Amino acid sequence: MTCEPTFRTLCAVLLVGFLSTAPATAQDDVWDDAGWDDDAASTLPISGFVEAGVGTRIRTDSLLDQRGTLEELRWRVEHDWQPTGFNVALKADLGYDGVDGEAYANLRDLSVGFTLGDSADVRVGRQILTWGTGDLVFLNDLFPKDFVSFFAGRDDEYLKAPSDTIRFTRYSDRWNLDFAWTPEFAHDTYLDGDRFSFFFPLAGRNVAPNPVLRAEEPHTSFENGEFAARLFRTVEGREYAVYGYHGFFKQPNALTPDLRATFAPLTSLGASLRQPFRGGIVNLEAAYYWSRDDSSGRDPLIPNDQLRVLAGYEWEPRTNFTVGLQYYLEWTLDHDRLLDNSLAPGFEPDEWRHLLTTRLTYRAARDKHVLSLFAFVSPSDRDVYLRPSYTYRHSDQWSWFLGGNLFAGDAAHTFFGQLEDASNLYLRVRYHY
Amino acid sequence: MMLKTFTCLGLLVTGAAYADALTDADEIVRQSNLASYYAGADGRSEVRMIIRDPQGRQQRRQFTVLRRNVEAGGDQQFLVVFSQPSDVRNTTFLVHKHVDRDDDRWLYLPGLDLVKRISAGDKRTSFVGAHYFYEDVSGRRPTDDKHELVETGDERYVLKHTPRDAGSVEFASYTTWIDRETFLPMKIDYVNAAGDVYRRVEVLEVTEIDGHPTVTLSRVDDLAGGGRTDMQFRHIRYDVGLPETVFTERSLRNPPREHLERPVQ
Repeated sequence: MTCEPTFRTLCAVLLVGFLSTAPATAQDDVWDDAGWDDDAASTLPISGFVEAGVGTRIRTDSLLDQRGTLEELRWRVEHDWQPTGFNVALKADLGYDGVDGEAYANLRDLSVGFTLGDSADVRVGRQILTWGTGDLVFLNDLFPKDFVSFFAGRDDEYLKAPSDTIRFTRYSDRWNLDFAWTPEFAHDTYLDGDRFSFFFPLAGRNVAPNPVLRAEEPHTSFENGEFAARLFRTVEGREYAVYGYHGFFKQPNALTPDLRATFAPLTSLGASLRQPFRGGIVNLEAAYYWSRDDSSGRDPLIPNDQLRVLAGYEWEPRTNFTVGLQYYLEWTLDHDRLLDNSLAPGFEPDEWRHLLTTRLTYRAARDKHVLSLFAFVSPSDRDVYLRPSYTYRHSDQWSWFLGGNLFAGDAAHTFFGQLEDASNLYLRVRYHY
Repeated sequence: MMLKTFTCLGLLVTGAAYADALTDADEIVRQSNLASYYAGADGRSEVRMIIRDPQGRQQRRQFTVLRRNVEAGGDQQFLVVFSQPSDVRNTTFLVHKHVDRDDDRWLYLPGLDLVKRISAGDKRTSFVGAHYFYEDVSGRRPTDDKHELVETGDERYVLKHTPRDAGSVEFASYTTWIDRETFLPMKIDYVNAAGDVYRRVEVLEVTEIDGHPTVTLSRVDDLAGGGRTDMQFRHIRYDVGLPETVFTERSLRNPPREHLERPVQ
């Protein structure tokens, strides 16, 4: 293994991590009273973490030179402050990414929150938004995701990408209303051939274009903004919600007339229910995706309408052991027309795409050790994606994360099948301050 | 100063109270449950825990708890907002405790803006990494156990409790030493199937606040595996007028700062 400067940096941090886990001597039995007995509450001025992560492919992707899937040093800065009547939040990441070979500065949150009257909250600015009931399966949550981070073994937090949004929430005794307006379309971070290759139907195989794939984005205008709404209420422990979205598919799953990847217009409507059931939690969710430019299903360049349905159940069969099961269905409408008009009929999605997920979590020694396995299995696509992980929380400062992203599939064109050569193992060490 | 240590109060009322000892175990448990978890119509407290593992290493947790009684001895609502350490900062936890059905529990993870529903399942698991269980924090249903008055001492009732559903808990029984004056359980010993005491919860400090004798320092010891957690309470107030709307999804995302701010002494 070559010892490049980046890698040496990572080695150094890992060594520090090792030192951190050396047996600590018993500390004095005193409470550190700073701020505890004061009249004014103590708040952490600035907090965050420093993290080093390394990840490597366990198979060879002949399209990509590098073996590394994660090589980074990350410094997180978080701060909240409350000028009168407002609440300002900041979360920023500074770091160096050895896979891309460049330094980065990412703003995850810089937003201002305030209250309108007694019953409405507003948050303006860059923020992370989430709703819906799925566990790592998203139907009505059409806020941006970062699948590259997810597949590379960064913290789960990075699956959710930020957007520049105005969020308005009105609470009442009956239905509450959430409305999020994102003036400029915020797409997912999609597979672009940089870190992972991806399947391209017109080529009939995986590609890793250089320069990387840059899908054509809708031009900025009011009509091309994203509008997301949710009506929700909780009655006797049952959570009901109705969702609407007007914008674009978040993945570049359409082609322009000159065959460039782009984002097709999308309007969706859905609903969900979540409630306790026999000691566990059951969730049901559905969404209808209306592909506005191809509702008839005839246009081969644009995805068809879809109905998506999810049912899940989570329970704790044994102390400290939790099991979550989900069944998810994507029903592509007008599937016959899709095949009749397709440019690559062999690689179109099945009319019925079934997906099963399992999340197994075991906690030991008061959550010091957490073992987890999340599995996606699609019987229709005949592909799987396994996410085993082990988290070791050594102290309030030091945590270790060891895990893998393991893909397998019978066919190269399915969602997880295309990532078979991206299968990787990773290790991250984090120091919280 | 509103605060007055309870020991002083205890001396003043000693003679009168000890005359009429209760003899009904269920009634003692009922009053103990009210004294431990239902003081006032609502309340707020700041809490910190020091968790020591068997090797002596320490961890800390710091959070603010808001509590509202829907009915004395009945349903309750809790909102817990974490401030330290930094990996759990701004994490919030909402509980709607029910007497006649499973509790509703939600956890908000700020990094993902995720409101996660937690199954009611096993409440006898570690509360945020401490030796305390969820059930120690929000209370165990009196009807889950059979109660037996073993001894009436000068200062304490001694009761033995056996679970109605032995398969749902890790203990075979537990014994409580309940203060006859305050009805606070001053010591609880948990006994396993082999008859050994493997876990002990003790009250180390009681302070009278707004007329309510209140635990301000307690400890749980893991006698089998080693290690312990101390839990300290400060800035406690009762009957602060918390509206029901505080205990909703809104507070998970936007904790109610006006109710979380430390009260002026």
